[in-house]
Amino acid sequence: MVDNTLTEKVLLATGGYDHTIKLWHANTGVCNRSLTHLESQVNALEITPDRQLLAAAGFQHIRMYDLNSSNPNPILNYEGISKNITGVGFHEDGKWMFTCGEDCSARVWDLRSRNLQCQRIFQTNAPINSICLHPNQGELILGDQSGLLHIWDLKTDHNEQLIPEVDASILHVAIDSSANYVASVNNRGNCYLWKFNGNGTRLSPEHKMTAHKKYALHCKFSPNSTLLATSSADQTACIWKTSDFSLKQELKDEHQRWVWDTAFSNDSEHLLTASSDGVARLWNIETGNIEREYEGHQKAITALAFCDP
Amino acid sequence: MALYDNKHWLLSHIRNSFISSDDTGISEVVMGGENLLQTLFTAKCDTYPGIEDNEEEEEIAQSLDIHTEFGVRRQRSHTSVQLERLQRNMIKSANLRHIKWELTPVSLTDEEMAELFPKKDITNQKINYNSELAKLLKACPYLPQNPFREYSKYDGNTQLGEATRKYGIFITMLNLERRNYPMQVSIIATAKVHDLIGLVCWKCTIEYPDCTLKESVDCYALYIAEDDGEVDFDFPCLDSRETVAKFGFGFLALVERDSKLAPAVPNHSPTSQEGDSILCENINTKAQQQLEGELNKLLAIEAPLYQLYQVNILNKVRAKAEIHLGISGQKIELDPVVKQRSTSKFPWTKQKPATYDMDCVVACDLTETKSNNRAVFRLVYDSTALSSSSIGDSVPGQQGTAVWSNFKHHDFEAEQKLAEDIVQKINNILELRCSVRRQEYISLRERKSHRRRSFHLGPR
Repeated sequence: MVDNTLTEKVLLATGGYDHTIKLWHANTGVCNRSLTHLESQVNALEITPDRQLLAAAGFQHIRMYDLNSSNPNPILNYEGISKNITGVGFHEDGKWMFTCGEDCSARVWDLRSRNLQCQRIFQTNAPINSICLHPNQGELILGDQSGLLHIWDLKTDHNEQLIPEVDASILHVAIDSSANYVASVNNRGNCYLWKFNGNGTRLSPEHKMTAHKKYALHCKFSPNSTLLATSSADQTACIWKTSDFSLKQELKDEHQRWVWDTAFSNDSEHLLTASSDGVARLWNIETGNIEREYEGHQKAITALAFCDP
Repeated sequence: MALYDNKHWLLSHIRNSFISSDDTGISEVVMGGENLLQTLFTAKCDTYPGIEDNEEEEEIAQSLDIHTEFGVRRQRSHTSVQLERLQRNMIKSANLRHIKWELTPVSLTDEEMAELFPKKDITNQKINYNSELAKLLKACPYLPQNPFREYSKYDGNTQLGEATRKYGIFITMLNLERRNYPMQVSIIATAKVHDLIGLVCWKCTIEYPDCTLKESVDCYALYIAEDDGEVDFDFPCLDSRETVAKFGFGFLALVERDSKLAPAVPNHSPTSQEGDSILCENINTKAQQQLEGELNKLLAIEAPLYQLYQVNILNKVRAKAEIHLGISGQKIELDPVVKQRSTSKFPWTKQKPATYDMDCVVACDLTETKSNNRAVFRLVYDSTALSSSSIGDSVPGQQGTAVWSNFKHHDFEAEQKLAEDIVQKINNILELRCSVRRQEYISLRERKSHRRRSFHLGPR
């Protein structure tokens, strides 16, 4: 009925406060594996570009799990950081990993075991809540608690700062795959968008909107760059059109609580959400209906990673 | 104290007390070298086993003054348990590589930096927007809501670090071959029995896609079961509000509560749309048959349980009187319903209370079905057995002596469904008992029906 090799291509992982990470059959809603994430909640999840490893950012650690074995324990443990790690991501070829954390630092970790040439650090004056990589693989965009947006050029080590709103903590930043837009959401529910000017990295303000009435938690562009998803403590996720920044769909369910993380399917037609009610959901963006629910976590889900090649 | 009964021990204790309390050391010189036990007392002390074969303990001097940890099996200390856990974690973490954050001591030159962190040209990249998930979703667009899905989160197999309980669950709804194998279910210990039922149903829908279950957890109950799958109906089902951790049984059985509630619904497993409805219907009818068979078995099991029915007894003149019919595995009681003022005009219609031992009841059949949805059934009993208290009288050698006139009967009238139930219940009990009188009666009845086939009078 369902091709197994096809099933394995689609990877969905969720993690949260119950110290476990679950891997799901995205199409059936059945949990097929659980991984231990001892002594810490999961702040962020990311699958490596080669789809071999799952990285989980938690308190003081980034743990990596082998996706192709049945080992429930991590096989790599990146440590030596004093506080929570809030974001993790990878260079598209898997050369290095970048993280950000509450220790006011963003780091680049060389993934080659002996050669640590690429190790880099960038420090600010406030805990960093979110990090994302420019598709050109050379710049990192960071959002911190003091409300500053930094663009860190890895090649020149220069950094550019933007202050979208004074005294509003930036919770999440995102950049679209064709590098046209940068988005950030803050604790007042406001969403700011910038546009890249030509070839340069200079950003010009494009749009400001009140995406949510409460604390916004997450924002993400769709793979085809036509949509922007924002999620919030108001228990909804909203889909915005990037053409005119109008609301396309509000994804809402009576059981859903804070929505912490989202992921688009590769065709930009579905959205996955992770919520505090311990359920991850798959939404049809066009209809706004829930198509699948992933239940099994005993506590809030705060992070998800999705791979849909 | 048992310790002091042991001469062997007492002797040793005295010797050791001398040795240890004598500071001059003379006692030790005198007594230390000897092994009195072996030389003197072996013969006498052989009622105390372990003198010879426990060499090790022999070496340790026995005295209240001497304390040793080795003689007795010591409780494992907290430290050793912890050490063991540490060791286990070490083994576990042997496969875990730790990478500490460190910065390269030498700073990179601008050229090196440019080489290591080149900027990719993203102006002309081709992006593939194919979604595998969309393909999968299209492959089975029809995923009906499984009513038990919410219980899947209690599955202990997908939990780590949570206390879980494991059960072997016999699913009584399954067909015979599969019913005898328990399904292994692991559940988190804090879940309620209600959740366990839901989880069992959920696993059932996945493992046995052809088994139909009712949509609600409330339709099912968990009973204690033997390891061979026999359901223990002597005990009530587990209280669904209790937490599972309270019950330590290894085997349980999932039993349907009442077949009259809610019709069976097809199983909800991801299937493609085509041919689904036909499949569902097939499954439905199959399940129904299965269920009926199951239900009859259940009724047979429950038959000996006491139950009270309110029916009308029909007298010789077909006059009705309301009575209570109490049926249990041992006897049938007829008890007239006492009314404040007897409405009956005929005194002979009054039925006296009576009790028939199940051993003297020989048959119970439906005799008449009326158009007003009521039915008449006949209870036949052996009247001789009533007077002769022991049933042993009629057993050996008297097989042929049963006389037709000894069998008396009562006719009752009740609602058809009720009458059928009563007849079924009594027959179930009779089948269980296989009394001699019943066999006599049946053979007699057969002979009789051969003789006069054209008409039947008297108890049939």
